Amino acid sequence: MVQIVISSTGAEGLAEWVLMELQGEIEARYSTGLAGNLLGDLHYTTEGIPVLIVGHHILYGKIIHLEKPFAVLVKHTPGKQDCDELGRETGTQYLVTALIKNKILFKTRPKPIITNVPKKV
Amino acid sequence: MTRLSPCCGMPGPTAPRRTREEVDATLQVAKLNAAELLPTVHCLSFGSGTSGAATGDFCLLELEPALCQQLEAGDSFVIRGDKDEQAVLCSKDKTYDLKIADTSNMLLFIPGCKTPDQLKGEETQSNIVHTEVPLCPVPESESSVCVPSLPLAENFGYKIFGFSNNYWELRRCRPKLKKLKKLLMENTYEGPDSQKEEDPSRSKYTTEDLLNQIQASEEEIMAQLQVLNACEIGGYWRILEFDYEIKLLNHVTQLVDSESWSFNKVPLNVCLQELGPLEPEEMIEHCLKCYGKKYVDKGEVYFELNADKVCRATAEMLLQNAVKFNLAEFQEVWQQSVPEGMTTRLDQLKGLALVDRSSRPEIIFLFKVDALPEGTQDRFNSLFSLREKWTEEDIAPYIQDLCGEKQTIGALLTKYSRSSMQNGVKVYNSRRLIS
Repeated sequence: MVQIVISSTGAEGLAEWVLMELQGEIEARYSTGLAGNLLGDLHYTTEGIPVLIVGHHILYGKIIHLEKPFAVLVKHTPGKQDCDELGRETGTQYLVTALIKNKILFKTRPKPIITNVPKKV
Repeated sequence: MTRLSPCCGMPGPTAPRRTREEVDATLQVAKLNAAELLPTVHCLSFGSGTSGAATGDFCLLELEPALCQQLEAGDSFVIRGDKDEQAVLCSKDKTYDLKIADTSNMLLFIPGCKTPDQLKGEETQSNIVHTEVPLCPVPESESSVCVPSLPLAENFGYKIFGFSNNYWELRRCRPKLKKLKKLLMENTYEGPDSQKEEDPSRSKYTTEDLLNQIQASEEEIMAQLQVLNACEIGGYWRILEFDYEIKLLNHVTQLVDSESWSFNKVPLNVCLQELGPLEPEEMIEHCLKCYGKKYVDKGEVYFELNADKVCRATAEMLLQNAVKFNLAEFQEVWQQSVPEGMTTRLDQLKGLALVDRSSRPEIIFLFKVDALPEGTQDRFNSLFSLREKWTEEDIAPYIQDLCGEKQTIGALLTKYSRSSMQNGVKVYNSRRLIS
């Protein structure tokens, strides 16, 4: 049988991240893939409402405290040097890298930002 | 579905960090009043290697609050399953079904990102926080943290770690323990002198082996080993051959009888002295543990024998010799077979034997719950193929173990059967046609 261990380093090693949930999907402008690209600026209003500006769009969202938190698991496939204390090779593992207890949800349609309105036509 | 295209991003990993001026310019274009915003900005970008969870390098696992606390305490979980089994996730003491939940939304994981409450707590000055979403775990030096009180022009990158369209969902389930008995029954223990013990090809299982084979948590496996009266012999978990177990039990009850002890106070030491020449001491103690409760009185170890368990084992021994018994005759023989002072009652046989009151004469036969399928629907199917209509009293011992955390027998019957009245008694039959 396959046994896959999900191990955690305990509270001190666990960062807390934030999850951002966007309706729909994000595509890079020139089909270059998302890697390395800037997504946008995330602001908060003084009332705590998240505002995300992506390209020519603006999104308003809300912060949701998750009743059921998430753990971010990173797969760890062992190389030759990864053996347990008995010298046996250990299998694939997942390492708990962070916990996520809050998410920023943007569920409304993005509003376009209108620029360059010609003054005279 | 909405498609967003980040425009300000320069392609490639060399995208320059945004300055406060650029952020302010964007705000102006968006006609947002900076005075109504908190001073800190998170500039989110994708790391040069950011990828989706579809690559399988990382994933999101949804947790109950209790499981989250266990992770924070440094506990580990294990995913268990054979290729042909549904994967389960086991904590130290519980088992969960593991399923992938899809969402049409995009989930981005952002290390170091702060919520407004956290920011307000920190009293930051105007800051830009660059959040990049890196692909792999961020090295300490690179992971950008929102640093408070930095000069206006300072830039903080927030890298998006990754994105996903699904997450792993857990649902508490019953441990899948049927296989445990099946494995241990492959090679039952018949005593130290049995020829089976000299045959190295016979299967034996250590705790580690069982964890490798059974889809259940360690605590659940250990509890079930107790239920099965399993015994650790030479580092391996074994079930005693039933005849051998009865032989041990008879030695004990005969000794109790000849010494005129009370069943409530059987001294361990005298048992071991008297019965040691007949059987190994560990086996005698194991038998006392299975059929009694250990306690200490004035420094002496005693066992209080459980009459219900002794009567039940005696009934099983009698019933296994025939397909069915005349109920009245059985009850007479049974009472004669148990040690004097113990009283047999049919309710001691719940989940072990079934009485058929509709036949003439009334009969009783061996019908063990642990021989039935583990799945709820399969269990009901096999019960209804044995008997068309059941009373709640009769069926209860055979479905009791299917009840979940807050599920009752009544709820199971409502879901998996149909009820009707027969001669003033409520009976349950199958919802489907049983072939």
